[in-house]
Amino acid sequence: MRKTFDPITLEILWRRLISIVDEADSAVSRTAFSSLLRDAHDYTCMFTDRKGRELAQGTFATPGQSGAMALGIKNLVNKLPPETYKPGDIFITNDPWALAGHLNDVCLISPIFYKGQLTAFTACVFHHSDIGGRVSSDNHDVFEEGLFIPLVKLYDAGVLNQSVIDMIRWNVRTPDEVIGDIRSQIAANHVCGEKICQMLNENELDGLDDLADQITDRTEKSMREQIEKIPDGIYRAQGVVEQMKGKEDVVIKAAVEVKGSDIVVDLDGSSPQVNWGGNVVYNFTYAYVFMAIKSMFDPDIPNNDGCARPIKLKAPEGSVVNCRFPAAVAARLVIGHFLTEIIYRALSVVVPDRVIASSGGTPAQMNVFYGKRNDGRPWHSVIIRGGGMGASSLSDGNYVYIFPANGANTPVEIFESDTPLIVEKRELLIDSGGPGKMKGGLGQREVFRIPDDQYAPIPPINLGIQAGRHLHPPEGLFGGRPGARARFLVNEEPGNPYGLTQLKPGDVVTIDAAGGGGYGNPLERDPEMVERDVIEGYVSLERAKEDYGVVIDPKTSKVDMEATRKLRERIGG
Amino acid sequence: MPDKFYRLGCDIGGTFTDFVLLNDQTGEVKIYKCLTTPQDPSDAVEQGIREMEIHTPGFVEKLDEVIHGTTLVINSIIERKGAKTGLITTKGFRDVLEIGRGIRYAPYDVFAEFPKPLIPRRLRLEVDERIRSDGSVLKPLSREEARRAVRTLLDLGVESIAVCLINSFENPTHEWMLKEIIEEEAPGISVSISYQVLPQIKEYERTSTTVTNAYVKPLTGRYLSRLAGRLGSIGFRGKLFIMLSSGGVTSVETAAQFPVRIIESGPTAAVIAGQYYGKLFNISEIFCFDMGGTTAKSCLIQKGVAGVVPTFEVGRVQRFMKGSGLTIQVPVVDLMEIGAGGGSIARVSRLGTLQVGPESSGADPGPICYGRGGTDPCVTDADLLLGYLDPNYFLGGEMKLDKEAARRGVEEKVAKPLGVSFLQAIWGIHDLINETMAAAAKTHIAEKGGNPKIVTIVAFGGAGPVHGYGLAKKLGAPRLLVPPNAGVGSALGFFTAPRSFDLLRSHKVALAKADFDEIEEIFQELEAEAAKILKRETTEEDAYPEQGSDAIQEIKFERSLDMRFIGQGAETNVPISERDFSKIKKDEVRRRFDEIYEKLYGRTYPESEVEFINFKVRASLPVRLLQLPRLEKKKRSPGQATKGRRQAYSPMAGDFIPYTVYDRYRLSPGTKFQGPAIIEERESTVIVGEDASVSVDEFGFLWIDLVGNADLRSLQA
Repeated sequence: MRKTFDPITLEILWRRLISIVDEADSAVSRTAFSSLLRDAHDYTCMFTDRKGRELAQGTFATPGQSGAMALGIKNLVNKLPPETYKPGDIFITNDPWALAGHLNDVCLISPIFYKGQLTAFTACVFHHSDIGGRVSSDNHDVFEEGLFIPLVKLYDAGVLNQSVIDMIRWNVRTPDEVIGDIRSQIAANHVCGEKICQMLNENELDGLDDLADQITDRTEKSMREQIEKIPDGIYRAQGVVEQMKGKEDVVIKAAVEVKGSDIVVDLDGSSPQVNWGGNVVYNFTYAYVFMAIKSMFDPDIPNNDGCARPIKLKAPEGSVVNCRFPAAVAARLVIGHFLTEIIYRALSVVVPDRVIASSGGTPAQMNVFYGKRNDGRPWHSVIIRGGGMGASSLSDGNYVYIFPANGANTPVEIFESDTPLIVEKRELLIDSGGPGKMKGGLGQREVFRIPDDQYAPIPPINLGIQAGRHLHPPEGLFGGRPGARARFLVNEEPGNPYGLTQLKPGDVVTIDAAGGGGYGNPLERDPEMVERDVIEGYVSLERAKEDYGVVIDPKTSKVDMEATRKLRERIGG
Repeated sequence: MPDKFYRLGCDIGGTFTDFVLLNDQTGEVKIYKCLTTPQDPSDAVEQGIREMEIHTPGFVEKLDEVIHGTTLVINSIIERKGAKTGLITTKGFRDVLEIGRGIRYAPYDVFAEFPKPLIPRRLRLEVDERIRSDGSVLKPLSREEARRAVRTLLDLGVESIAVCLINSFENPTHEWMLKEIIEEEAPGISVSISYQVLPQIKEYERTSTTVTNAYVKPLTGRYLSRLAGRLGSIGFRGKLFIMLSSGGVTSVETAAQFPVRIIESGPTAAVIAGQYYGKLFNISEIFCFDMGGTTAKSCLIQKGVAGVVPTFEVGRVQRFMKGSGLTIQVPVVDLMEIGAGGGSIARVSRLGTLQVGPESSGADPGPICYGRGGTDPCVTDADLLLGYLDPNYFLGGEMKLDKEAARRGVEEKVAKPLGVSFLQAIWGIHDLINETMAAAAKTHIAEKGGNPKIVTIVAFGGAGPVHGYGLAKKLGAPRLLVPPNAGVGSALGFFTAPRSFDLLRSHKVALAKADFDEIEEIFQELEAEAAKILKRETTEEDAYPEQGSDAIQEIKFERSLDMRFIGQGAETNVPISERDFSKIKKDEVRRRFDEIYEKLYGRTYPESEVEFINFKVRASLPVRLLQLPRLEKKKRSPGQATKGRRQAYSPMAGDFIPYTVYDRYRLSPGTKFQGPAIIEERESTVIVGEDASVSVDEFGFLWIDLVGNADLRSLQA
C-alpha cells in the first residue's frame, strides 16, 4: 500500500536523508589521504533509491561531480537486473563516459539492502590526484591519460577482489595514497548505507520508494513553478573557448528553449571534439547546464532527481560537449566549466538579476606538481585555484573562488610540507576585477620557486596544468568590462599551459588566475565605492580614472567629485 | 579560608545578566537576574551585586571567588566593534586573511556572501623574511624593515597589532623579534603573535585566529580591568576567574592576553554543570540540552567529560550555515548550536511544507503571545496553545501571555495555508522543532560515538524543560533530568569548572623517526608554560597555601598526541597517560593509535606508517567541590504541591487531556508521581507525558523516567 506522508513528516524525513549524506561526507574528510580531498574537498557523496533516482547529496558537493553522477548512477544501476545485486557488493569504475568525465574521478557504488530487499544505492566520486598516465592536457586519447577501470566488482558479496587493488597499485605513481583514498570511499558508502537502514528501522518504513516519490515530486514542482514564471521563447548565446597555440577557438552554441515549465538546452552547432584533453562527456556537460539552471531558479532547494526533471539537454555526438570514446578527456574542466556562463548569458535578457558575469574561476585552475625529493622520495601534489567571480546587478563579484565548480585551496604550509617547493606569493591581483557598475571579483597570483640549494629536488620537476582565460578574459555583462586574463610564466617568460612543463632547480613559476567580469557601466559606479577600492588597494589610482572616470586625490585618497563629474561627462559621451 | 565562604557566578547574556551566589558552608544557592547593560556590562554586574547584598548583607567581603562568563568578545566580533588592528605578515601573504580557504559553502547560490576580514587590506603589511617548512631560516628578518613596518602601522593609528609569519609554528624567532620591536616602538600597545596564540600548521586558520585575538584584545583588557576595579571598589577581595570556551576557567590576566579563548565563555557553563551532574550522579552518558529564546545548544557528555573541538566559526554571514563565518582555531567545548528556540518562527515554506526556524523573533518583538508587536507565530506561541505554558504564570506571572492573538496568528499563517487543522498546526510546530533538534542531536551524538538510547537528557534554559520530554521521546532516550532553577541553573556550572589551560605544539615527525627524548622535552616545555599560566591564577595567601614551587604538584597534566597515517589529512587524538614519554615503546604508541582508529572508522591499516602532528597538554588545578543544597525534608504528599489541573495536548491521545499542574517549589524530596504532569517554576515549565513518571531527589532534581520499569541503574557508569 502506498504511504503518503503529511507535509510535516515529509520535512522531517527529508532533512534526515540529507544529514545522512553529510555524515558520510564528514567521514571522508577524516579518513582521506590526499590533500586534494582532505583540504580541497574534491569529492561528492550521494545516494539514490533502488531505481537509481538521486535522493540526497552532501552539502558541499561539487556541482560537476554531483550533476554527472546523478545521471550516471541512474544509468549504471539499471544496466543490471535488480536481482543480481547482493548485500556486500561494492562496484568501482572511473569510466569517464559513464560518470564524471575523466579518469581521475573514481566512483564506488554500493547497493544497500534493508530487510533483505534492495533499497538504495550509495555512491561517492573522489578526484584521485594520481591515476597514472601522462599528466598533461595535450594527450591525444584517453589511453594516454591513465588507468581505465570499467564497472567491476571491488567486493563481491563482501569478499574483496584483490586483483582490482593490485591492478590499480601497479598503474599509479603514489599507490599508498590512491589505495588509502579508495578505503576512504568504502568507509563513506558504508556509513551512508548503515544510516539509511537505521532511519528506515526507526521510522518503521519498509523502503524508500514512497518517500522518494514524494520528495522528488515536490522538488520538481518547486523547480517548475520558478521556471514557469519566465516567458516562453528560445534564448541563444555562444561561448568561445581558447585552445593551445595554433588552434582555432572552440565555439559552444546554446539555444535555451523555455516552454511552460520545461527547459530544453540544445547545443547544436558546437565545435567537433578536439585532439587534446578538453573534451567533455555528455554527463559533465549536463552537470554544468544543470548548475546554471538550478542556481538561477531554485538555489536553496536540496538537490535531488526532481530538480533535474524539467531540464533536457541535446548535445550532438562527436562534438566537444558530447565527445566519443576514446577522446582525451583529462582536462574536461577547461571547456566544461564554461557551460554555466553560456546558459547565464542566454537567459540574462529575461532574468538579468539572477545571473553573474563571466568568472575568472571558470575554468578552475588545476596544477599537478610531481617529482622526486633530493633523497629520491616521490611526491605528487594537486592544487586547485579559483579566480574572481563575475559581478551581478546587486553586488561585486566575490574574490578568488572556484566557480561554477567548487573546492578549497591547499594551505601554503601544507603544500610546502608535502613538497620540496617554496611558495613565494599567494595574493590578490590588483586591478584584475572587470570594471562595471558592479566590479568583477579579483583574481590571484601565486608564485612557486624550485629550490636550488641543499633542498633542491632531483630534476625534472613536473608541472601539469589545466586552466584557461590566457587569451580570452572573462567577459562583463550589460556594459561591464572583462576581468584580467590568466597568465602562466616560467622565469618571467610565457609557458605552455597545455603541455607538461618540466622544471629545474632555481626556476620560478608565476600563475595568475583571471578576474571576474563587471556588470553594468563602470561610469555609473558609485564614486565612493571606487574610493574605497583605491584605499584598500583593489583598484589603482590610474585605473580608477581610466576605467571608472573617478578622480582621486593621491594625497588625501578622497574623490574629487567635481573633477569626476567632468571626466565622466567627457568620456561617457 | 573560613572567613570567605561565598562564591558568585555571573553570566552576561544578550538580554539578561544572571547571578548565582553559593554559600559553601551551607550549600545554599541564591539566584538573581537583571538586564544587561550593553554600554558597559560591568555596570550590570555591580548593580546586580548591590541588589543581592540587600538580601545577603555583607557577602561581598566574604566572597572567595567571582567566576565570570561573557558574550562580550563574541558580540564585539559579530558587531565589528573591535579595535583598529594591523597585521604584519610574510612578504607575499598579506591577503591570506582575505582569501581564506575558498570553498563556496552554498554551491548553488551564486549570491552567497562571505565574511569580511577583521583587518582591511591597507592595514596588512609585509616583511621580507621566510622560514621553511622544516623551521630553518630561508631569509632572515631585517630589523630595520621590521621597524619601518611597525612605524607605518602606528602612523595609520592602529591600537593593536597581530603578527603571523609563514611556517612560524616551526620556528618563532622572527615573530619574537617583531614582538620585541613593537614593544620598543610602542610600549604598552596590544600585540598578538601567532606562535603564542596558535602555534599550529595552516596559515589561514592561524592568521585568522591571531587576528581575531588582536582585534578583541584592547576591549577585553579594558573591560576586564574595569570589572576588576569595580569589584574592588565594592569591597571584593577574592579572586576573579573568567570562563574559557574550552570549559575551564582562567585568570583575568590570561583572558586579557588570549581573549580569543573566551569567545564561547557564556554557553559553556551549562556544559560544565552537565559534566558535574554526570560525575555527581555517576551517569555514563548525558545529553546536555540548553534551549533559550533563539538557539538550542547541546553537548554530549560521556563519563562526565564533554568533548572539546579545536575549531570554531564566528559571525556566520548566513545564520548557522557552516562555512559562512570566520574560522578560529581555539579549543571550544563541542557544542552544537542550532537555530531552535522559543522565538523560532513557524511559517509555510515555498515547498508547501511547514518550516520552523532558524529565523527567530528574538526577545523583541518576540512571539505573538508576548503582545509586543510580534506577528509571526513562534514555538512559544504553540507551546502556550498546546496548554504547556500558563498564560498567567510566565516568568512567575510577571508577563501575561496573549493566547487569543497567538491562536489567530497560527490559524492565519500556518493552519490555513497548509490546509491542516489548528491542532495539527500547533502540534506540528512543537513537534517539528523537536525533530529539528533531535536530528541535529542524533548526528552530534553519533559523531561522538554515543548512543541516544542510553543518554540521560539534562534540560536547561527557559524552553529546555518544555521540550525535553518531546526530545527524549524522539531520541528514544530513557530519562530526562531537570535540575532546580533550570531556567538559569546552568550558571551553577561556573562553580565546578576546572581551572585548566590547553597548550599545543605542532611538529610533524614520523613515528619511526621520532626521538622520544626530544618529544618528552616538548611536553615538559608545554607543561612548564601551562604551569606558569596557572600559577598566575592562584594568589599566594589563600586557596593553595603551600604553593610557591609546590604549586606545580597540585597541577594535573594531561598529555595527548595528534597522530595520523602518513599522507592523511585529519589527525586522531591519542591520550598519553605516562609521565615520561621517553620510557614508552614505539610499538605501544602504535598499538594505541590503531585501537582508537579502528573504533572510530571501522578498520585500521597496521601496514601503513603513522606520524605525529601535534603535541598537546591540558593543565588543570583540582576542581573545587560543590555542595548542592538539600531540600527541606518536610514530608508533603504530592497533592500538597498540586496547583490544579490544566487541559494540555497529549500526542499519544491525539487530543487535549487533563495534566496535573505542580508547584515545583512545594515538591519535597522523595515525592513520586505519574504523568501527565506540568511542573512550574518561575523561569521555566517542565512537561511530562502520561507514559512517564517523576521522582524528586534530595537536591530537588526531577528525575523523569520514560521507559517505565526498565532498570535505570544500568545507565550508571
